[in-house]
Amino acid sequence: MSEKNKYQNRRDFVKKVGKWAVALPIAYLGYELIQKTSAQEFVWQIDPYKCTQCGQCETNCVQTVSAVKCMHAYEMCGYCDLCSGYLRQGVKERNTGAELQLCPTSAINRSFIENPYFAYTIDEELCNGCGKCVKGCAAFGNSSLYLQIKHELCVNCNLCSIAQTCPAEAIQRVPNSKAYNLKDGYKPKES
Amino acid sequence: MIDKILNSKVLIIAIVVGFAIAFIWYLLKQPTNDLVASLPGMDNRPKSLGENDSVIIGEFFERFNEIDETTSGSWPRFRGNEFDNISKDTISIAENWPVGGPPIIWQIDLGEGHAGPAIHKGKVYVLDYDEEIRADALRVFSFKTGEELWRRWYEVLIKRNHGMSRSIPTVTDDVVLTLGPRCHIMCSNTETGELLWSMDLIRDYGAELPQWYTAQCPLIDDDIAVIAIGGKNLAVGVNISTGEIVWETPNPDNWKMSHSSVFATTFHGKKTYVYLAVGGIVGISGEGDDIGKILWKTSAWDPTVVATSPVFTNNNEIIVTTGYGAGGARVKIFKTETGFEAILVEKHSPKNGLSSEQQTPILAGEFLWTINPKDAGALRNQLACYHVSDLINPVWTSGKENRYGLGPYLLIDDKMFLLNDDSELFLYKITNNKSAMLLAQHKIFEKGVDAWGPMAYIDGYLILRDSRRMVSIYVGL
Repeated sequence: MSEKNKYQNRRDFVKKVGKWAVALPIAYLGYELIQKTSAQEFVWQIDPYKCTQCGQCETNCVQTVSAVKCMHAYEMCGYCDLCSGYLRQGVKERNTGAELQLCPTSAINRSFIENPYFAYTIDEELCNGCGKCVKGCAAFGNSSLYLQIKHELCVNCNLCSIAQTCPAEAIQRVPNSKAYNLKDGYKPKES
Repeated sequence: MIDKILNSKVLIIAIVVGFAIAFIWYLLKQPTNDLVASLPGMDNRPKSLGENDSVIIGEFFERFNEIDETTSGSWPRFRGNEFDNISKDTISIAENWPVGGPPIIWQIDLGEGHAGPAIHKGKVYVLDYDEEIRADALRVFSFKTGEELWRRWYEVLIKRNHGMSRSIPTVTDDVVLTLGPRCHIMCSNTETGELLWSMDLIRDYGAELPQWYTAQCPLIDDDIAVIAIGGKNLAVGVNISTGEIVWETPNPDNWKMSHSSVFATTFHGKKTYVYLAVGGIVGISGEGDDIGKILWKTSAWDPTVVATSPVFTNNNEIIVTTGYGAGGARVKIFKTETGFEAILVEKHSPKNGLSSEQQTPILAGEFLWTINPKDAGALRNQLACYHVSDLINPVWTSGKENRYGLGPYLLIDDKMFLLNDDSELFLYKITNNKSAMLLAQHKIFEKGVDAWGPMAYIDGYLILRDSRRMVSIYVGL
């Protein structure tokens, strides 16, 4: 009798099927657990709706300059001449003079589009993640400015030092497939 | 051998020279070379943001229908008959609403904006912006049915800028006066809609258009229209029948037009028009030989943006509030040997006391009601009540579970109607004059947005709007 046509009784067959029926789910469960505990699949990110712009993202990140940057939801922006995310409170003039700007590093570029609209873009190289513009925009504007961790800069520490101190618990691990909590359709560059 | 030494000397010299050059370069190198100074003008802002088109104010008119209806009540202007946002109607207000909310009597579509209604003798007056034909349109509706009766309009380009329309018409038996988003004054006959006169405050007086367009609601005091300008003249008085300029107030400090409206009051027996300009607060004589003259002024309170109007106490004081971090303040008017003097006696940040960003607080008896702004710390967005003598410590707040936005609120008897940004309407009952109990709430519009326009109320009917729709609802018993 060839090996191919070897006799197998019903008891052995049921045993074999039973073993596979137990082993396969256990193996799959193990695979899923590994997937979920793998640091490579999760990244740290800020929930902009929880963020209170406390300023700790600027100072507590292990990166110098912080990996946290301001982002701009253009679809939400009012393109105001008097932008509370760009200008300090109480200013009487509206122009690009450094003394009028809220941003300590002049990381927001302001440009005239057409009356009465002005566009605001973020220079990420200059942005230090202090969140002052975000606070100003949230207080009086449309909250179109918000903070996000840029993953091409973030080293994805096992325990994020900003998340440890964030008073609003706004920094959490998110799946790498949804690495940004965006307020509009902005697609960040591949890291 | 010599060659070797020579070569090594040359090598050493070359190294020394190289180091010397590097050292000189290091000394001369300016580490700030790469920095770019942020200077004015880098945004390519043009010298003037003004539009140069010419507008023929009140050019067009169309009548749709005529009615023979009237109402016993009247809400003829911003903040009602007595400028206090308190209705004196005696109709009882229902304390609870059916499951579907208060009955909607009629609903109309409007252009995007925040312009509230005025109600007079059976008609509702709204200065709308018609986005299709790009025109400011004074639209008059039947109070009873919402049917449009007539409209007078003029073409003017308004771009979307946090809403388009903002101002509320002021209506008397004879005239209806409007101030358009780009500073166009139009005075029409209340019944016939006939154009009586007009003014372009930018062209005629060099007014500077406020941020996000004009929101001032013009004041009619007897037969004089009092209009704040902030250009060549701080304010003017205009005969409402003829359009003739009766008086002009100089503007020596070059103060600018705000979103605030001129209110009339009396200080030390002297009738005074009070205006919160961008630049300061001014009191203008409202009677006598010196009518139109500045009685007092102060720039001690000078926020960047002023959206609210002044509140007057019985103690010759003005309470002022605004958003954008400015908070609130109290100004006291003193009588001096030579005239009057305005002194800022109290000023606080929004975190430390009564404040309001868009809506003017309501003074009911000795208590002030407000919705604190977003930057008011723990009290942010809460409805709060303060005794008029203490603007720092509220006597009651709605609590952190009940926060509101920039929407309007008004008082009817012991009831307060409050509209949230998304058009959810709240009904509060005022208890002991200084606290409130939530009775009912209902969302008026599906997907309501920016419901910031002031409400109007008469005869049991409340008229309110969100950014694009207006409704009349019945809230009486």
